[in-house]
Amino acid sequence: MVDLRVELCGVPFKNPVIAASGTFGFGKEFNEIYDIGVLGGVSTKGLTLEPRLGNPTPRIAEGYGVILNAVGLQNPGVEEFLRDDLPFLREKDTVIIANVAGRTLDDYAAICARLDGLVDMIELNISCPNVKCGGMAFGIRPESVREVTRAAKGALKTTPLIVKLSPNVESIAANAAAAQEGGADCLSLINTLTGMVIDLERRRPLLANNTGGVSGAGIRPIAVRMVFEACNAVTIPVIGMGGITCAEDALEFIMAGAAAVQVGTANFTDTLAMPRIIEGLHAWLDRHNVRSVAELRGTLRLNG
Amino acid sequence: MKELRVTVRENVPVAQNVFRLTFSLPEPVEGLRCGRFVDLSVGDGAHLLRRPIAICAYTADSVTVCYQCKGAGTRRLAACKEGDALTCVLPLGNGFVLREEERRVALVGGGVGVFPMISVLKEYAGSGKTFYSYIGFRTKAAVCGEEAFRAGSERAVLVTDDGSFGEKKNAVEAFFDDLSAAKPDVILSCGPAPMLRALKAGLAERGVRTPCYVSLEERMGCGIGACLVCVCDLENGEHARVCKDGPVFAIGEVKL
Ligand SMILES: Cc1cc2nc3c(=O)[nH]c(=O)nc-3n(C[C@H](O)[C@H](O)[C@H](O)COP(=O)(O)O)c2cc1C
Ligand code: FES
Repeated sequence: MVDLRVELCGVPFKNPVIAASGTFGFGKEFNEIYDIGVLGGVSTKGLTLEPRLGNPTPRIAEGYGVILNAVGLQNPGVEEFLRDDLPFLREKDTVIIANVAGRTLDDYAAICARLDGLVDMIELNISCPNVKCGGMAFGIRPESVREVTRAAKGALKTTPLIVKLSPNVESIAANAAAAQEGGADCLSLINTLTGMVIDLERRRPLLANNTGGVSGAGIRPIAVRMVFEACNAVTIPVIGMGGITCAEDALEFIMAGAAAVQVGTANFTDTLAMPRIIEGLHAWLDRHNVRSVAELRGTLRLNG
Repeated sequence: MKELRVTVRENVPVAQNVFRLTFSLPEPVEGLRCGRFVDLSVGDGAHLLRRPIAICAYTADSVTVCYQCKGAGTRRLAACKEGDALTCVLPLGNGFVLREEERRVALVGGGVGVFPMISVLKEYAGSGKTFYSYIGFRTKAAVCGEEAFRAGSERAVLVTDDGSFGEKKNAVEAFFDDLSAAKPDVILSCGPAPMLRALKAGLAERGVRTPCYVSLEERMGCGIGACLVCVCDLENGEHARVCKDGPVFAIGEVKL
């Protein structure tokens, strides 16, 4: 029997497969298809202090092997989450990660303070490309990454802080290091890459928001490279994501240095993607006589 | 709701750019009904999103849907052959439900919106309901389902925008022209957004209080209610998910 357990910042995960924010809601709908208690963790839809309506539709489009989304952080607000959604997630034996966003440093501090001690981890979304002041502004330069991380960390007494990095930046390594300096306990990456798809007949972008975040299988090589760079720039654990569709994809991130992975767009293509990835990890480790998935972490050797 | 590997039984053109696809179910599926939809993969790795398509008809071991070929994804779907495997999540959405006392039913359908209307006729065939169908197409080459509407309705009015088949008018005009004769207890509608808007405006102008339900279309991500990609605006200022809270809404409830 192989061991898929991993630990991040003292939080035990039964396996390293976590639902990525924004693709899984608060878990209720996927739980109608399979028991989400089999997952290592669930990162919630991005939460803000007040409810938000998000962007106009269409909010989604396709490219070759990728999708673009511009949901724009529609969410019920943190209070409704605590009242209506958290109790359901609590009943499930899975790590609960609250993904949060804000407009100002004070927003980030306030939402972290509100959630402190109520969820297992907090994931700071400073990289949403789809809303003005959706945090993206904080995610671009290392100085502001450090500053927003410090504001969030200062508001937290017990809950470990994950900082989710944007790929739309000059240097992933510099931003990763800045987050660690700001007090991050863990990093996650990548969020979506900014893109555009055009409807030739109408001579307009397909998305109502004009641009959207690119995700899905096609972005995986970029994500793996960035996760590798981030892992080499910090000493805190890193959660890797971007285009994971199967166990082998997940293992690329783990070999590159990730302690765990998140799966987003693959949930749209295949509602059972995550249970299949977990099964696939068992099978791969078994076939390769590896006892524990944690042993594979960062075992990548570079050429020459 | 579940995800299944289904097998294409038949995939044939039925009108200009419109295909009818029947697939076999590997196991029984509960809850199939008119106005609900299935979310069907298009069968290759380039297209990561499934396509939501309304149920047109179903049996114990098969489902039939009709779709319009309008982009690379649906073109890929149109190339599927008998025996091809697709993944399908089904059944999704709320669907049309007729109450006992709703005996006279008006169906107002346009374009590919005619197929959910056909599914209503099939669902309630032999139930003692009387149907009045007002069905519009752009042009003669796009006309489909004529037989189903004629066979299932007390009166079926088929019209085209250009007058190449039936009268030259749209489905909403045909409906209002016949409203005082049909006297429906309920109105069900599915079609392009401008058609639904015209229906809503027409009902309001005439002060018609007959309950009216419309089926909406929106681009989808998950198709099951988790991602908030497919929202529509409600009159109360909130959003609803077309895939989970809909696709059928009371016409007064949604902003069109
Ligand atoms: C529809 C959609 C909504 C998303 N919403 C959020 C969000 O609210 N907060 C966030 O941090 N990331 C959000 N993301 C980004 C994902 O969590 C993830 O970082 C990205 O999609 C890359 O992973 P993937 O290729 O596996 O999807 C969203 C992605 C998608 C596709
Ligand atoms: S498509 Fe995901 S919520 Fe409707």
